[in-house]
Amino acid sequence: MDLHILDHRLRVISISKNGLVNFTHPLIKLIFLRNRTRCKFFSLTETPENYTVVLDEEGFKELQPSEHLKVESSIWLPLNVASNGNASSSSQAVGVTKIAKSVIAPLAQQHVSVFMLSTYQTDFILVKEKDLYVVISTLEEEFNIYKEVGGESVPMHCQDVPNGLQKNGKEAIQPTVHPVVIPKNQFCVMSLDPDTLPSIATTLIDVLFYSNSPKEDAANQGLDCIKFFSFSLIDGYISLVMDTEAQRQFPADLLFTSSSGELWRMVRIGGQPLGFDECGIVAQISQPLADSDISAYYISTFSFDHALVPEEDIVSVTDMLQHQRKDPAAS
Amino acid sequence: MSGSKPDILWSPHHPDRYVICDSELGLYRIGPVGSSETKAGTLPLSEETAATLLAINSDTPYMKCVAWYPKHEPECLLAVGQANGRVVLTSLGQSHNSTCKELVGKEFVPKHARQCNTLAWNPVDSNLLAAGLDKHRADFSVLIWDISSKYSPEASVSSEKIRLSSVDLDSSSVVTKPLYELGQNDACLSLCWLLRDPKLLLAGMHRNLAIFDLRNTSQKTFVNTKAIQGVTVDPHFHDRVASFYEGQVAIWDLRKFEKPVLTLSEQPKPLTKVAWCPTRNGLLATLTRDSNIIRLYDMQHTPTPIGDETEPTIIERSVQPYESQIGSFAWHPSSQNRMVVVSAANRVMTDFTVFERISLAWSSTTSLMWACGRHLYDCVEDGAEGVDSVIEKDIATKMRQRAQSSYGHDTVQVWRNHLLAGGSDPQLKSLWYDLFYMKQCAEDIELKLQGNKQSVVYSGIKNIVKTTSGTTESRRCWSGSERQSDVPRYHSEERCLSLRLCGWISRGPDIDVEVFLRSLEQEREWERAAAVALFNLDIRRAIQILNKGATAEKGDLNLNVVAMALSGYTDEKSSLWREMCSSLRLQLKNPYLCVMFAFLTSEPGAYDGVLYESSVAVRDRVAFACMFLSDAQLPRYIDKLTNEMKEAGNLEGILLTGLTKDGVDLMESYVDLTGDVQTASFCMLKGSPGEVLKDPRVQCWIENYRNLLDAWRFWHKRAEFDIHRGKLDPSSKPLAQVFVSCNFCGKSISYSCSAMPHQGRGFSQYGVSGSPTKSKVTSCPGCRKPLPRCALCLMNMGTPVSNCPGTGKSDERLDLTRENKLAQFNNWFTWCHNCRHGGHAGHMLSWFKDHTECPVSGCTCKCMQLDTTGNLVPSDSS
Repeated sequence: MDLHILDHRLRVISISKNGLVNFTHPLIKLIFLRNRTRCKFFSLTETPENYTVVLDEEGFKELQPSEHLKVESSIWLPLNVASNGNASSSSQAVGVTKIAKSVIAPLAQQHVSVFMLSTYQTDFILVKEKDLYVVISTLEEEFNIYKEVGGESVPMHCQDVPNGLQKNGKEAIQPTVHPVVIPKNQFCVMSLDPDTLPSIATTLIDVLFYSNSPKEDAANQGLDCIKFFSFSLIDGYISLVMDTEAQRQFPADLLFTSSSGELWRMVRIGGQPLGFDECGIVAQISQPLADSDISAYYISTFSFDHALVPEEDIVSVTDMLQHQRKDPAAS
Repeated sequence: MSGSKPDILWSPHHPDRYVICDSELGLYRIGPVGSSETKAGTLPLSEETAATLLAINSDTPYMKCVAWYPKHEPECLLAVGQANGRVVLTSLGQSHNSTCKELVGKEFVPKHARQCNTLAWNPVDSNLLAAGLDKHRADFSVLIWDISSKYSPEASVSSEKIRLSSVDLDSSSVVTKPLYELGQNDACLSLCWLLRDPKLLLAGMHRNLAIFDLRNTSQKTFVNTKAIQGVTVDPHFHDRVASFYEGQVAIWDLRKFEKPVLTLSEQPKPLTKVAWCPTRNGLLATLTRDSNIIRLYDMQHTPTPIGDETEPTIIERSVQPYESQIGSFAWHPSSQNRMVVVSAANRVMTDFTVFERISLAWSSTTSLMWACGRHLYDCVEDGAEGVDSVIEKDIATKMRQRAQSSYGHDTVQVWRNHLLAGGSDPQLKSLWYDLFYMKQCAEDIELKLQGNKQSVVYSGIKNIVKTTSGTTESRRCWSGSERQSDVPRYHSEERCLSLRLCGWISRGPDIDVEVFLRSLEQEREWERAAAVALFNLDIRRAIQILNKGATAEKGDLNLNVVAMALSGYTDEKSSLWREMCSSLRLQLKNPYLCVMFAFLTSEPGAYDGVLYESSVAVRDRVAFACMFLSDAQLPRYIDKLTNEMKEAGNLEGILLTGLTKDGVDLMESYVDLTGDVQTASFCMLKGSPGEVLKDPRVQCWIENYRNLLDAWRFWHKRAEFDIHRGKLDPSSKPLAQVFVSCNFCGKSISYSCSAMPHQGRGFSQYGVSGSPTKSKVTSCPGCRKPLPRCALCLMNMGTPVSNCPGTGKSDERLDLTRENKLAQFNNWFTWCHNCRHGGHAGHMLSWFKDHTECPVSGCTCKCMQLDTTGNLVPSDSS
């Protein structure tokens, strides 16, 4: 297996719901005018609490500092696991589940905080730049690690990382078991030909920027349904996660999804904002899913983490999570 | 390829059909312009061809890529890859026949929708269609569909689930189960089936090139690279693959797949298409974005890479079919080097044939050969007799003929060399006469006695007249007339010498041109003789010569008329005769007749009419000037004439320049004009060795002439030339390069004849000494030990080839009877540089006529084959 450290230096930002209006211009530029910015990595996720933006430094320059803008101080580096062809085709599980054992669990053990970002195309594991040495030394055995520099993959070893001394040597403490919420709405994960992006522009703008209309607020009261919409444009690939409600607003023939039309249910992790330093949160969820061979998407946001699991598996997942919460020591 | 950018595909089997795909598919037929079907709809593609739109298919929106079914039947079946990853079979301009009907409209749907980047039909098993898709986190990116498969049984089940798709699928024509799924969690940007095995598929994946083997899909060969776009196999060399990344093309050898065997020079703009020419080996065409040229890389002569370091040479050139930007191009599948190009905008198409590079080779024997495409052209000089009057023969032919007739080798009657050269070139005639007169003067004892006169002979008249002193002026009478001439004539020793060099007078104190006149009469140069007589103030002799000319066989009767006019000469300044002659003389066609009247009608000292009459031989004008120009006028005139000659490269000017630096300058412009290094070499060899021969130009001519003789395989002629050169320029003799040393004392066995210069190359000339009897030739002259034995006759070397054992060859028997001289080539030492066996040259030569291996038993050395020139035969007989 290969692990690629991609050539992006990312910032994680939150924009408050009220403050979105101040950022409409740069966000529209980042989403629709690819040729006008040098931003290669952009992700915008709307949650009921706020908007989470993950973007590279080029894109970050577009955003003016503001009281509505909260910036996580670290630089994050995206990691990507490439199966390198010889992948075993036995396991049907994909996404976070596939890398749960090989990447997420070891990193959790080494107290490396990860920020997950799944897309239609692949899964990105974001780690803090200061943790890079630990990441490499932890994963070196399992993976061939490459660093992408200007499109070229350069093999990496832990001695190549300058601040190699910094190691997260904290005592292994039993991670907090966070409460989970399972909203009722169904989600779909989709993609789009970037060339046809203009043709859904109005719908997309409507969904992204005008979703807080009062009528919807009334409809989505409580946590039966959750407002969740994610758009990412990474290296030219578009990925969209939305609930079926939002999906209906889009012209169906333009959005790509699986031919089987699979639907997903969400598991939101965290009762209060999780912060960026706690580790093991993703592992907590992905580990049992991997054990049961259930595929999953995982999207971290500024406040909470969100896992998407296939609709048909939601019952077993619910059971499993409830069991875990009742008896934390067993997990 | 994006939907708006057009692409072209030639039909794999119809040489006159192609498809343009942009937002829709358009089928065109290409035909000659102005053929029977010149309809309004035809689009001119070139001066000869035009295209007719046959059909349009706009059934498939969001086209991303198109591939044409490779087999004859069903024809015109196309696979279209769409933006959502579906592959649709469609056709164009077909009356729906049964085979096609079944397939057209069939759709192949991947599990997860994403862009289809590329399609490739398997060239052998044409049911297999490979599609390369974008990345999906949970899906494969290379799907191989079987177009003959019925829709999958699950299709009906899954179609229930297709809630998100608004397109109602006709489930009977939808295939959702690919035959093979390859490249999990990766993106595939380009695909091609390998021609060396139809089970191998080469794919340009996200970060690597991968070869999938359908017989074992869990294994793949891959190499990490950025150059993953547009993979394409060279149709003429199945192990050679091209791929590209941005502006750079990488060429791969599948047998050595670790890294590209070469990368082509990077273009500033990203490439959009790379295609091997199907009709020509190793020709790759590339197109970059927003460009109006197609770059061609010719790897015709690229050797198969052997080592890591061999960077094969590539010839790069570009073609520009038209001004506007090119959208795409496609090679014609069978027409040589032909392509159709479509513009980036407005679908402007051009039919275009890339002109083949011409490689050209001159042979040393005037024929010219060039190769263009699959044709080889040979241009030989027209050898027909009589043609040479119309077209002058090439200088190489002339030089070759002259070399065969030993041109330049007559060192006694030097003038005869011009006859050896064919006798038809007036410049050469003049040159060799100049050299002849120079030689004559140089050998003149009388002149030798006069001090340094002799040394200036070769320095040319220009230098001779500069030193003139003690000039006397005389006014002679017209001979046969009592009248005092008012024409002053000048005399001095130098002027006299100049006249001799001009050939007007021969040796002696008297200025007597009678000998010269007679020789001219003999050569029937009546006009010239008359003019020379006139210039010597002998008007009667001139008239007599003209009369003779008129009455001679095939004589020109008009000469009598001229004689008549001449006889009316009067020195009366204002006479009618003078007036008429000075105006009418210009109508005379013969320059000598013209200058005669010019002379008679000129004022003394103003002879421009004579001196600048360029049709008159230089020697005659110079001689005239020496007689009639004053000390002030003469050097000025000579200088002017010399410069004129030098500029024109006229060999007649050698008379003026002599064999000096000036002469080399003159010869240089002559060689520049004619390429005649032969004449230049021979001429300059006559010059003083110290100055002229050291001139690098002269050395260059000589070396080039020798190389030319070598190239003609005129080895004997070259040897003759070297000998000739050695005589005239002793410094050119090469030192002995090979010695035969005695095995016992180590001394050279040619010690005894060391006085003789050695010229051998490769062969020692033992025994060249004229007195072989003096020393015992079979032993070393130093230690008296015997010389080695000939491997064939087993006699000690030094023995003549008389006891040749077992000879059946008649020429060798001839040798027996003839009195052998040791100096003969047959007796020379010769040995192989590899196995060191050898013997008499004659024996060795006859042995290797029938054998390839060394005559020494047990030695398997293929001596003669090691000698690359050993099997060449000289083409000159000597």
